Amino acid sequence: MKKYLIILLVAFALWSCGTTNQENSGKLNIVATTGMVADVAKNVGKDSVNVTALMGPGVDPHLYKATQGDLGKLQAADIILYNGLHLEGKMGEVFEKLERIKTVVPIARSINEAMLLDDPVYQGTFDPHIWFDVSLWMQTVVEVTNTLIEARPELADYFKANADAYRAELADLHEWVINEMQSIPPSKRIMITAHDAFSYFGRAYGIEVKGLQGISTLSEFGLKDRVDLINFIVDKQIKAVFVETSVSEKNIKAIVEGCAQKGHTVEIGGNLFSDAMGAAGTAEGNYVGMVKSNVRTIVEALK
Amino acid sequence: MDAFYIILTASLFAISCGLLGCFLVLRKMAMVGDAISHAVLPGIVIAFLLTGTRDSFEMIIGAALIGIFSTFLIEFFHNKAGLQTDAAIGVTFTWLFALGVILISVFAGQVDLDQECVLYGEIAYVPIDLWIGDDGTIFGPRALYVAAMTLIVNIAFIRIGFKQLHLTTFDPAFAATIGISVSLWNYLLMGAVSMTTVAAFDSVGAILVVALLVGPAAIAYLLTDRFQTMMMITVFVAIISSTLGYYLAVLVDGSIAGAIVTIIGILFGITFLFSPSNGVLMKKRLQRKEAQRLKAEAPLS
Repeated sequence: MKKYLIILLVAFALWSCGTTNQENSGKLNIVATTGMVADVAKNVGKDSVNVTALMGPGVDPHLYKATQGDLGKLQAADIILYNGLHLEGKMGEVFEKLERIKTVVPIARSINEAMLLDDPVYQGTFDPHIWFDVSLWMQTVVEVTNTLIEARPELADYFKANADAYRAELADLHEWVINEMQSIPPSKRIMITAHDAFSYFGRAYGIEVKGLQGISTLSEFGLKDRVDLINFIVDKQIKAVFVETSVSEKNIKAIVEGCAQKGHTVEIGGNLFSDAMGAAGTAEGNYVGMVKSNVRTIVEALK
Repeated sequence: MDAFYIILTASLFAISCGLLGCFLVLRKMAMVGDAISHAVLPGIVIAFLLTGTRDSFEMIIGAALIGIFSTFLIEFFHNKAGLQTDAAIGVTFTWLFALGVILISVFAGQVDLDQECVLYGEIAYVPIDLWIGDDGTIFGPRALYVAAMTLIVNIAFIRIGFKQLHLTTFDPAFAATIGISVSLWNYLLMGAVSMTTVAAFDSVGAILVVALLVGPAAIAYLLTDRFQTMMMITVFVAIISSTLGYYLAVLVDGSIAGAIVTIIGILFGITFLFSPSNGVLMKKRLQRKEAQRLKAEAPLS
């Protein structure tokens, strides 16, 4: 019995040694975790890079499980970019260790900690949803640019020019979002979402945000919270609540029904892109389009 | 080397889980792995509340302590209250899981904290989750060392305590009469199960561990009536399913854990139908033959 096991294991050891895939197209191979991170890399690297995002549209990054193919992509990558701040859960921890032997960069580290939303009780556990504040997200471009320059110093000018253009685009976007949000009457600037992903958005653009669930998808919604939230909606005469593409809409529907029983109609204001972008090729398939789509949905529903 | 590392790590954990699973299946406690996977939640939350970090080490310690506590509770309810083991398992893990959910909503609603994101690993990360020394030397995948250590401890435990474990599993009354403490060996076995499952959760994820505790042992159970043979077959099934599962995952570009469990399911299905001693089809054939023989022997009408 033992003899067969040893033969079996040795056979596999030999066989698997022979199969290493070699890919070399001259372009930098970048693997990013979420679509938003991938988008930054694409805009800075343009033609000189191949960017792959591991998590597709509609994927909840907290719960993402890598496939066998992802492993190959990660190993073939010249640079791995991820959001950081524990957004990727356990995967982030693996990346942290991998940093010592490979270029692995948590792009959130370019943001000053003072700008991050910290948990009031447990210091150091930051809210990872930084991409909702465009001015904050803009800062990650610097980190990505520096990483790319380090890998390809000869293309430094090209990367810098791309980065400047992208930062200008994002700065415009930031202004645009501020203007759009101004069109909502101040008393109506309250948005209710399925999970607590929009805190940065609320802080940056002056809108009160209430999430049904906590940040963790396991922190269930208490009965009292639910009654409180329904009363809050009825009191403030809020017109709409929002569902997210990567979180189940069951809970938010329960709130809509609860309000209906109290004689207040609240609509589902539409789908917001929270932890994942839209499908590739659609308008929401890149960061700018995603932000615009979210803002339009919010403004239309609350105006 | 990736394929080799993944298959080897999966196989080592599969053998650990399979060997313990043999005892669990015969004791009607096969689902204790699933129970532990839920019951560790309060352990994680308490570990976080005490230390304020979500690093693996603290999470594993918290999970392991609660894992042992939960198996202790299961044994306690079973022994002292005479509750059936399945009911004792059910009560314990649902209660502990619920406690964890409440702890999160009360104390840590704003922190992303659950087993999926702080405890359960993913077997695909095995080749990149390396153990790197202080001077930068790469010693190879961390999970592989954990898997090997776990297997060594389990084999040592089963070798040293084989007689006692065997007797308390098959004939607890007789074991008691010759002076073996049934509950002590139950606790020791449960302790080994918790340690193994928590170590494996961290390295390869939950669903795989739960399946490995039950599947190979159940397949072996259908194939033999001798306990030693059952353990041998379990080891064999564990290695075969890890290997085939990995290549199934390559073929469909899917989750490796999912593919391994799928293979276990398929192997179980085949065994269920074709096992020479217990297979459904074989039994039917025997019955048919028997009926024909009876007809031929007694042509009364």
